Amino acid sequence: MGNLYHNKIAQWIVYVVFFAALTIIPMTVSDSFLLNQLATYGVYGMLALSISLCWGFGGILNLGQGIAFGLGAYGMAMTMQMQSQSESNPIPPFMLNNSLDHLPLLWQPFQSTAVGLVLAVAVPTLFCAAFGGIMFRARVSGPFFAIMTLAMLSAFYTIILDRQAYTGGVNGLTPPSSFVFAGVEVDPYSPTAYWVVLCLLAGATFVAKLITQSSFGLVTQAIRDDSERVRFLGYSVAGYETVIYTVSGLIAALAGCCWVMLVQYVSPAQLDVGFSLSMVIWAAIGGRHSLLGSILGAFIIQGAQSYLGDAFLATWLLILGGFFIVVVRFLPNGLASLVESGLGLFDRQRPTSSPAPDGGRPMPAE
Amino acid sequence: MNITRRNILKTTLAASTAVALPHLWLPGSGEAWGATLKKGEPIKVGLLFSLTGSLAVPEEDSTLVMQYAIDEINKAGGVAGVPVEPVIVDAKSDFAVYSEKAKELILRDKVIAIFGCYTSASRKAILPTVMQRNHLLYYPTCYEGAECTQNTICTGPLANQHSKDLIPFMVGNFGKKVFFVGSNYVWPKESNKNAKIWLEQAGGELLGEEYIPLGSSEFGPVLNKIRDAKPDFIFSTVVGASDIAFHKQFKQEGFKVDDMPIASLTTGEIETRAMGAEFGAGHFLSAPYFQTLDNPTNHKFVEGFLASKYGKNGVTHYNMEETYISAYVFKAGFEKAAAEVGFENVTPRSIRDHSGGLVIEDAVSPEGQVWIDKDNFNTWLKPKIGQCQADGTFKVVKAAAEQVAPDPYSIYPDLGVCTANGLKAPDGSIRKNVI
Amino acid sequence: MDLGSLINALILGVSIASIWLIAALGLTIIYGTAGVINMAHGELIMLGAYSSYMLQFYLGLPYLLCLPVSFVIVALVGLALERGLIRYLYNRPLDTLLATYGVSLVLMQGVRLIFGSDPKYLAVPEIFQSNVMIGSVSLSVFRIVVLLVTALLVLALWLLFYKTRFGVQVRAVMQDKEMAASFGINSSRIYMLTFALGAGLAGVAGALFGVLAIVLPTMGASYVVQAFLMVVVGGGSLAGSVVASGVTGELQSVFAFFTNDTFARFIIFVLIVAFLRFRPQGLFAQAGARR
Repeated sequence: MGNLYHNKIAQWIVYVVFFAALTIIPMTVSDSFLLNQLATYGVYGMLALSISLCWGFGGILNLGQGIAFGLGAYGMAMTMQMQSQSESNPIPPFMLNNSLDHLPLLWQPFQSTAVGLVLAVAVPTLFCAAFGGIMFRARVSGPFFAIMTLAMLSAFYTIILDRQAYTGGVNGLTPPSSFVFAGVEVDPYSPTAYWVVLCLLAGATFVAKLITQSSFGLVTQAIRDDSERVRFLGYSVAGYETVIYTVSGLIAALAGCCWVMLVQYVSPAQLDVGFSLSMVIWAAIGGRHSLLGSILGAFIIQGAQSYLGDAFLATWLLILGGFFIVVVRFLPNGLASLVESGLGLFDRQRPTSSPAPDGGRPMPAE
Repeated sequence: MNITRRNILKTTLAASTAVALPHLWLPGSGEAWGATLKKGEPIKVGLLFSLTGSLAVPEEDSTLVMQYAIDEINKAGGVAGVPVEPVIVDAKSDFAVYSEKAKELILRDKVIAIFGCYTSASRKAILPTVMQRNHLLYYPTCYEGAECTQNTICTGPLANQHSKDLIPFMVGNFGKKVFFVGSNYVWPKESNKNAKIWLEQAGGELLGEEYIPLGSSEFGPVLNKIRDAKPDFIFSTVVGASDIAFHKQFKQEGFKVDDMPIASLTTGEIETRAMGAEFGAGHFLSAPYFQTLDNPTNHKFVEGFLASKYGKNGVTHYNMEETYISAYVFKAGFEKAAAEVGFENVTPRSIRDHSGGLVIEDAVSPEGQVWIDKDNFNTWLKPKIGQCQADGTFKVVKAAAEQVAPDPYSIYPDLGVCTANGLKAPDGSIRKNVI
Repeated sequence: MDLGSLINALILGVSIASIWLIAALGLTIIYGTAGVINMAHGELIMLGAYSSYMLQFYLGLPYLLCLPVSFVIVALVGLALERGLIRYLYNRPLDTLLATYGVSLVLMQGVRLIFGSDPKYLAVPEIFQSNVMIGSVSLSVFRIVVLLVTALLVLALWLLFYKTRFGVQVRAVMQDKEMAASFGINSSRIYMLTFALGAGLAGVAGALFGVLAIVLPTMGASYVVQAFLMVVVGGGSLAGSVVASGVTGELQSVFAFFTNDTFARFIIFVLIVAFLRFRPQGLFAQAGARR
């Protein structure tokens, strides 16, 4: 057999073990802060997953993932805000301060929780499909696409800041009470909220894993490695790129919804360049070619930020920056590649006379 | 393999349902502070400010002055005879971190109150947590109002207090025509709405109103518009680094402070020092406190603070003084609550319930006597007008004769009045936690 | 809204353009030559401002002398950065982007640890703190200084690239590294020198921005995205960046004149995305340049 790291069954086992471990946590701890914090990390894990899918498997570096995340988060915040308004009080307080005496058209669909939820996910997804479709058909790729996403992110950031009557400006939206769905209040500190995030994270990981192992995923990885050759083979490169970019955006939008459910708050800071870059850092440090590696990257970095941050206080950014430089310089495939080469050591001791079990087909990245 | 996986899934699913169900119906609010105080153990309070990042400039000072105040209180015997222990966290100028750290302080460290936040955005980020846990936030700075929660106490001036004297003073001394410049967010906009009311009463005329993106340092277009409009003075609510760029470019573009002074709500000692006093000299600031205030309490505060290990930045400004007072508001509120319900039964909510009407006397408050409003829990205070001198300090040119009432809904009378239990609408209905 | 105000807005546009341009100049050189997307550019600008502050505060150097010395200091930092990190990443453009972002975090926090997070200020001669009136048009002396410095630097760079032996070598390496190497050009040295040059230019920009606004550890972050957009819209060439900054500066000034500053920025970002959609290679892509 080849390197255990590339063994599909072994990979699935590891994934199942990981999620099983996450499932056990709420049964063993009753610390509601820890649960809420872990759930938030889970949201960041979804973001790292979406970056890994798009960048590690599609070769599209997206520095503007905050757009999908932010739009999803705003959609969810609008839905939750409207839940706390009543018939007699239909207008959120911040609008009254901005001299709006009726609910703007933009907000009206969010009066219905179901419609609001659908919009919160659909709007960013459709945006990604449209933006990606337009850009990839013009064969914008590589660093150029990265810069375009950065410009687009800045555009969204500025317009949300500017249209205060509709978005709350820099203060953002602060729905005063928990999300209620089908009569159930999802207290952000309860295991319920944790389960919701865990299910979505597991579901998204499952789907992403299936995608990367499908023939579709193999084509996107081929595009990542050499898009010209794939184009000559007759594949629609733009089509594949658009789909993987859109799926990644969909996951980020879901993450945005979960995030607001957990922290009951959204502001333009979620569309800040720095935040989108940190998503890339999670995936890069964890290992962009590994879905699980990226998720763990988010857990590790955010965990370290929360728990080392105060101990080291002033030097935290210094450490993070330095660590990031070292990883990029010496471990371009992140910490996951350490595991890969570690497992490869066992492999080397075996005779490798027979060809790889999958008959020399291009290896999935993981 | 398949069987194993399915088994794992089934077991975990069953287990998870069993654990999850009891929690489904947990109420989201209520008396959630899960700790009790014990005599002999220090009282823990959280200091939630940014020590790194772009907000560190004002907020690091707030942490330092809070530590100073707590040391001072402990030296004098503590609160209700028990020492106070600050839990200091760094919010890293990131609103998401404010939210996370607030939860940590409330749920894990079980502090009895949080002193924190400088920007409205960070306050809004933590308020849902504070309100749902029925906790207590001391918000020690100026803000826009239009908020009525049952879990905050604010010791800074509201928009309705801040410019009340400044506008008539400027109109009287420099002329009727004014131009408004502000950073592009809610506090400057709300402050300007209030300023328009005072302007109308003083018979002034508004020539223009411009808002600059937060953090922007390009004031060319705005200064061109001001040059065309030729106002008698400028009313500024520009904040942070932008404010410094504004004052510098004002001078660089050839504007003269004698022809067109800037009347600001933000440009204090810390800003004039950062920009260089030559750019600040001659302009006006309205604030409840200046470092140069001439009274024994302030002399003691300034000397004591600057000589202490927390005084390394060499300045005391209005924001620090408002933070300093909040520590004494906490002390007074706690002691009153402890006297009525017993030390062990003091909760964040009971402190708040006993804080309405608390008076901080001249002997304690460097800015002079202030008290907490019994309905909206903001502070009655005397706004003062200072003019920046050549050395960057301020000379008080006018002080309000008596304390001005805080009113968070002064410009929205249709929405109602903020009471201790919630926002009371004109139809008599009361809504809690309006943010 | 008379004609005079509009003319004032147009003239101000030139000044805004020169600020955008000088922020982007160093990046243009680095990106144009080596294809490196240097996310630490903003922090190099910040280092320029802090160098000037140090020179003034500790050595009492007059402001105008701080400009060239800041150039040298930041160029040396750039040199070290290139030798220590960037040169290992030339064939991985996306990784340079990430690694330099790490560098920017380190520089920002490092400066904060050394100088504290409170703002510093640069003292300049009194003459720079005034303005001149030409008819109804008012110009701030310092904005003219920025404009002049920018123009001088552009001219110097043009001479360097098109009139010197070094320039020929740089352009040869830009077009075909292997071919240039076969003619005996040391491409590694060229990359090193251009990176240092680009960093030095950021240092000069920082020394100027410190006077216009404020010296803070975080001051660089606001310049990096807009500087990038100028370079990419320009296509990585000197002429491209000049035109891109010129047009953007004018547009910002005029939009800000008619609407407000925030909305003006939004329009510009959207226009840039739309422009790049149709011309991803930028305004003036260098013929035969390696990508």
